[in-house]
Amino acid sequence: MINVSFYLRRLHSLCGLLLLGGVLVEHLLTNASAMGGPEVFNQGLAMMEMIPPPVFLGIEICLYAVPILFHGIYGIFIALDAKNNPGAYGYSRNWKFALQRYTAWYLVAFLIWHVGYLRIYLKGIMGEHISYALVQSVISNPIVFVLYALGMFAAIFHFCNGITTFCMTWGIAKGPRAQCVVDKIAMGLCALMCLLTLAFMFSYIA
Amino acid sequence: MAEQKKTITFIIERQDSPTSAPYTQEFEIPYRPALNVVASLMEIQKNPVTKDGKKVAPVTWECNCLEKVCGACMMVINGKARQACCALIDELEQPIRLAPARTFPVIRDLLIDRSVMFESLKRVQAWVEVDGTWEVKDAPIQNPYTATTAYEISHCMTCGCCLEACPNVGPQSDFIGASPSVQAYLFNLHPLGKFDKEKRLNALMGKGGITGCGNSQNCVEVCPKNIKLTTYLAQLNRDVNKQALKNIFNK
Ligand code: HEM
Ligand code: SF4
Ligand code: SF4
Ligand code: FES
Repeated sequence: MINVSFYLRRLHSLCGLLLLGGVLVEHLLTNASAMGGPEVFNQGLAMMEMIPPPVFLGIEICLYAVPILFHGIYGIFIALDAKNNPGAYGYSRNWKFALQRYTAWYLVAFLIWHVGYLRIYLKGIMGEHISYALVQSVISNPIVFVLYALGMFAAIFHFCNGITTFCMTWGIAKGPRAQCVVDKIAMGLCALMCLLTLAFMFSYIA
Repeated sequence: MAEQKKTITFIIERQDSPTSAPYTQEFEIPYRPALNVVASLMEIQKNPVTKDGKKVAPVTWECNCLEKVCGACMMVINGKARQACCALIDELEQPIRLAPARTFPVIRDLLIDRSVMFESLKRVQAWVEVDGTWEVKDAPIQNPYTATTAYEISHCMTCGCCLEACPNVGPQSDFIGASPSVQAYLFNLHPLGKFDKEKRLNALMGKGGITGCGNSQNCVEVCPKNIKLTTYLAQLNRDVNKQALKNIFNK
């Protein structure tokens, strides 16, 4: 078909906002339930385990694995198209443009480690049961704690700034006022999600 | 106070040929009120001697109108792309650093080759088709509100500031940049030009087209003609998305 890169680019955008954004929000809320204590968290996990494993695996592959591989791999090529220049042009939007790419690089490394270790190695290969105690043992290492917090912040910023750029890419917010309002709302959401992350992460080690 | 001789220091990035390695030289010229970068370069040209007294080849650059309408004098001044003819010395931090806009091929010193922009304008058909078999009557009527927008965009002087500042334009990418994209919008607004709207939108959906924009918004910050580039890019995004739906469902 003609204009393949146009459709791929629009798919990359939709996939990032709707599918990966959805996964991030779900992930954040599930983890935030840990603040209610081990019982609440484990109960939430048990609810998810009520979905038959083959169906759950299908959901994981279609709504998570495929979109993230597509968005991530194509995203690497998009990131390589940019010569980040916030040093010379230090405007706020240009910083966010650069941060969108810096967080993307961090996410590539972080997600390989995070998904590779927890989902594929521990749960998939070792047949380990994911639980409050397991998460607690993982993040009680201070270095892991910091790297995980940074991973969450990176994903949250990338997603929230992505809301703003999505509104531009799809011509939803056109004028400077509308774009500024979207930017402020997205950054407010970003702050809120980061605070929630800190709150539930500290609740594990408190 | 009038006795004290004030000077201006320039650090200029030079290059002898399109392929040779760049190097920098320092120049000092006497201060004069209301001096701008082009006038300073002319001063250096009269007496091309570096700060440490070495006689060198005069610095090459391009300029034309000297009043911010031709676009020719774009260069990187203290790190930012702008027009040299309207860069006032009094408003610049010293030493003043001049460098060629390396998004474009450098011909010599500060002189660059911006023809890639003209090639992009051809690609998006940035003109109105007037020659045909039809009768040419009076000029078609223009909506005055649309004309105001068109007038604003028509100020573009193809200077290339918006391409130089754009992180997504350069040898690493095939994006044509803000100016040629937005020029397509200008001609889509024209009462006759809009007959070819579909052609232009399809060109913008092609390789190097509008998807190359990553919304860093540097273009609108640096445009010397204050064209609301990001607003028109967003409008074009709307237009190409609609065109994409038409391409999928109408054929
Ligand atoms: C695996 C690593 C990832 C890489 C390499 C990556 C790369 C990128 C890049 C380069 C962009 C800019 C696209 C553009 O300017 O057109 C982008 C946009 C975006 N990303 Fe990611 N990303 C990754 C993970 C994620 C994740 C986990 C999420 C969701 C939480 C996400 C959500 C988004 C959103 C919503 C956008 C905005 C789309 C738009 O501007 O239209 N990305 N990504
Ligand atoms: S908004 Fe788009 S065209 Fe303008 S500088 Fe940023 S990436 Fe380039
Ligand atoms: S849009 Fe503005 S910055 Fe870009 S070429 Fe035209 S006048 Fe120069
Ligand atoms: S000389 Fe024409 S814009 Fe500067």
